[in-house]
Amino acid sequence: MNKSPVNNPDARLVLVCCGTGCIANGGLDVYRALQNELNGDEGVRVDAVTKGTGCHGMCARGPFVRIMPDDINYCQVKVSDVREIVEKTLHGGEVIKRLLFRDPRSKKTVKSHRDIDFYKRQHKIALRNVGVIDPASIEDYMARDGYQSLRKALFTMTPSQVIDEVVKAGLRGRGGAGFPTGLKWKACAAVDRLPRFIVCNGDEGDPGAFMDESVMEGDPHSILEGMAICAYAIGASAGFIYVRDEYAQSVASLGKAIEDARRHGFLGKNILGTALSFDIEIVRGGGAFVCGEETALLASIEGNVGEPRDKYVFPTERGLWGQPTVINNVETWANIPFIIHQGAASFASIGTAGSKGTKVFSVVGKVANTGLVEVPMGTTLREIIFDIAGGIPNGRKFKAVQTGGPSGGCIPESLLDLEVDFDSLARVGSMMGSGGMIVMDDRTCMVEVARYYLNFLAGESCGKCVPCREGIRRFGEILTRICQGKGTVDDLNLLESLSETVQSASLCALGRTAPNPVLSTLKYFREEYLEHIIRHRCPAGICKELTEFYIDPEFCNGCGLCAKMCPSQGIAGAKKQAHTIDQSKCIKCGECVDVCRFMAVKVR
Amino acid sequence: MKMRIDGREIEVRSGETIMEAARRAGISIPALCYHEAFGGQGHCRMCMVEVQAGGVTRLVVSCTYPVTREVEVKTSTPAIEKIRRDIVTLLYKRAPDSDFMERLYHSYGCSDNTLHANLGERCIMCRLCVRACEEMGVSAIAAVSRGTDKRIATPYDEASPDCIGCGACADICPTGAIEVIEKGSRRVIWNKVFEMADCQRCGRPFATLAQLEYLESRLDRDVVKQRLCSNCRRKEVVGKVRRYNASLPFV
Ligand SMILES: Cc1cc2nc3c(=O)[nH]c(=O)nc-3n(C[C@H](O)[C@H](O)[C@H](O)COP(=O)(O)O)c2cc1C
Repeated sequence: MNKSPVNNPDARLVLVCCGTGCIANGGLDVYRALQNELNGDEGVRVDAVTKGTGCHGMCARGPFVRIMPDDINYCQVKVSDVREIVEKTLHGGEVIKRLLFRDPRSKKTVKSHRDIDFYKRQHKIALRNVGVIDPASIEDYMARDGYQSLRKALFTMTPSQVIDEVVKAGLRGRGGAGFPTGLKWKACAAVDRLPRFIVCNGDEGDPGAFMDESVMEGDPHSILEGMAICAYAIGASAGFIYVRDEYAQSVASLGKAIEDARRHGFLGKNILGTALSFDIEIVRGGGAFVCGEETALLASIEGNVGEPRDKYVFPTERGLWGQPTVINNVETWANIPFIIHQGAASFASIGTAGSKGTKVFSVVGKVANTGLVEVPMGTTLREIIFDIAGGIPNGRKFKAVQTGGPSGGCIPESLLDLEVDFDSLARVGSMMGSGGMIVMDDRTCMVEVARYYLNFLAGESCGKCVPCREGIRRFGEILTRICQGKGTVDDLNLLESLSETVQSASLCALGRTAPNPVLSTLKYFREEYLEHIIRHRCPAGICKELTEFYIDPEFCNGCGLCAKMCPSQGIAGAKKQAHTIDQSKCIKCGECVDVCRFMAVKVR
Repeated sequence: MKMRIDGREIEVRSGETIMEAARRAGISIPALCYHEAFGGQGHCRMCMVEVQAGGVTRLVVSCTYPVTREVEVKTSTPAIEKIRRDIVTLLYKRAPDSDFMERLYHSYGCSDNTLHANLGERCIMCRLCVRACEEMGVSAIAAVSRGTDKRIATPYDEASPDCIGCGACADICPTGAIEVIEKGSRRVIWNKVFEMADCQRCGRPFATLAQLEYLESRLDRDVVKQRLCSNCRRKEVVGKVRRYNASLPFV
C-alpha cells in the first residue's frame, strides 16, 4: 500500500515550502534545521514528517511552515524559530502567535492556511498538489490519485474518447493564445504520418511570472501524466519538456520525476503493460523570451536559431523535424489528469461560457500579498486584486493592472469588475497571456509604463521581420520623446498608425501584440499623454524632466522623514514645521513621496 | 490546381507559394527579401497579399503562404498599400544612406519628418547576403544578436576563417551595404584581407585565391583547371565553338 502520509488526514506533518521564492528567503535552512531538530532528539517521539514541498504561492511572506493536521500556518520562519516551533507547537500543541500570518487589511492574525483570504478564495486544479506534496516523492503524487487518470485512459477509454473528453472539457491553452487543447490534439492525431511528437512549453519568459515554474518544481508528475495521456490519445512516441535555462530546480525536479515514472512503468516501453511506448526528454531553453513562441521553440529544440516562422501550416501538421507535433503549456498539461479523472463535465462546470476551468495568475506589483493565485475563470479583477491579494498597500490608490505579460495591455479602475477570461481581456485591449498581473498604483506614469514594455520588447523581439523590429524601435523613440516633454500631438496619431501595421504585418504574436501596451494606455490614459505633451507635466511624478515636487504645508506636520530619506539632502525644515524642497538639489527620485505618510509631497 | 489572382485565373501546383505561382504567371508582387534562388524568407513583409479562402479573408505573406486549396488573391488593397508604405518608411529611416531605399521611399509617396534617420546605415536586414553565403556552402556571416540590435556580422565581428572573400553577399545586396575594398592584388571584405588571383588570359585580378581553392576542392579539377575571369571564360567558350564550327566540313 502507499505509505505516503499526504492522504492520511491525521498524520503529523510539517510542510516546509521549498519553492524558489522560499529558498531565497532561507527555506532550505529552515527545512534542514527542522529535520535535525526532529531526528536528533531521542528522548521525544514526535511522529512528524518534514517535507520539502513546492511553492505555497504567497512568496513574499516565505518561508512557510505548515503544521498538519492542526493546519497551523507560520510565515517568514527563520532558523532561530525552529526550536520554539518544535517545543511549543509540536510537543506542547501551542500556537506561536508571533509567527502567524497577519491579514494586511483586518490586521488580525490568522492561524489556518484555510482562513487566509489569499488561499480561501482560490480554487486549485493546476496547483492542486503544489505545496501539498513532496515533489520528489512519486508516492505522494500517487497518494493524491496520481497516475490514476493515465490508468483510466489506457484501460477504459479509446484514444478518441480521451480526445473527446478534452474537447468537451473546453480546456484552452494556458500559454497565451488560448487555443482549444482538444482540437489541437484532434488535428495532430488526424495527420497520418509517424512519428508524432509532444512538447511541453516550460519556457516561461514573461518577467515576473512563475506559475509554470511552481508546477514544474512542485508537481512535476502532473505534467508527465498529462503528456503520457496525450501520447496515448494521439499516438505519440516521444515527448520533450523545454525548460527555461534559469530554472535549475525545475530541471532537477522534472528529471527526478521522469526517472521515477519510468521505474513505475508510467513512461518508457509498454507503459503499464500496454502497447503504448512513450518517453520524455528535458531540453534546456536558449534563454530568449521569443523562444517561448512555439515555432521558435521547436526550431530551438532542433538546434536551430530560435526564430519564429509563419504559421500557415500548424505544428500539428509540421512541427518538430517536420513531424506532426502537439505543443502545450505547462499549466495546460497539469490540467489534463484532473479532466480525465473528474470528467469533462466537472471541469466545464467551472469558469465562463468561453473559458472553462481555472487560471493561475502571478499577481505582483503594488499589492499587499504578491504571489500565485489560482481562481475560476470569470473571477473579477477586483476580487483578485483586492480580496485575494489584499489591495494596494501604503494607503495609495489603484491606477491600473497590466495583464498578459510584456505585450499585454493596461486596464484602468473603471474596468475592475471585469470578469477575467480569454475573451474579456482581449475585448478590453489586453490579453490573458500566461497569466501575469502587475498591479500599479497612482505613483505610476502610464506613458513610462508603455515605454518600459516597448523597451523590453525591443531587446526580446527576434529581430527577424521588419514591422516588429523597426516598429518597436520607433515606438520606443516616440514614447521616449513624450516622456522627455518633446512629443507632439501628432505623435499620438503616428503611434496609432504604426500600431496598425505592426499588428497586422508582423510575423509572430510577439510583434502582433507588441502595440498593446501603447494602444491600451492611449485608450484609457490619453489625458496623461496629453499632459506630457501639452503641459510638459508628468502627473505621477515619474518622468524626471517633467516633474517638480513640492510639499503642501497644509498636509505636512514636519515629521522630517522625507528630509531624512532624501538622498540629495534637498529637503529642509524645522521640527514640527512644514518642510520645503530645494529644487536645485532635487533629483526627482520620488523617495519623499513614497515615504510620506500624510500625502503631503505633491507633484506641481 | 487553379487560383485567382487580381481577377486572373492561373495554374498553381499544390504546396507552391503564392509568390512562386504569381511570378510564373508574370504577376509581380513587391518584395525586398525574396530571391528566386532561395525561396521565401518572410522577413520584409512587403509581399503581403489578401487571401480569400473558404469564406475567410486575411492578409498573408505571399512568399511563405503555400496554396493548398482554391484561393482568391488580391495583390493590392488600400490596407496592403498602407502596410507597404509603412515598411518602406521604417526601412528608409533605418537605412537612409541607401539610394535604393531612398528611391523606394519616394516612389511609394512616403513622407515622415519626425522619425530619427539612422545616418550612415544602408543595411535593411533582408538577409539575402546570409542566404547567398549559405548557398556557397560557407556560412561565414549570419544575423547576430536580437531585437532592434540584430545585424549581419561574422562571428564576434572578427575575420572569419570560413570566409572565402567571394563577394556573393555584396553582389546580391540590394542596398550596397556590404563594403568591398579592392586595391591592387588585395580585396578586403568582412574585416578579412584576401590575395587576388589574376586571370590567366587578361591578367586582371578576378577572384580571391581562397575562393578558387575552395571551388577547386569542391568541383571537378578539370572544370577550373584554367583560372579565367568571367569575361575571358566567355571568350574562350566562343573561341572553342568557332574552332569546332570551322572544323566541320560542311560549314
Ligand atoms: C513571444 C511569445 C512568447 C511565448 N512564450 C510562451 C511561454 O513562455 N510559455 C508558453 O507556454 N507559451 C508561450 N507562448 C505561446 C506559445 O507560442 C504557444 O501558443 C503555447 O505554447 C501553446 O500551448 P497552449 O495551447 O497550451 O497554450 C509564447 C508566444 C509568444 C508569441
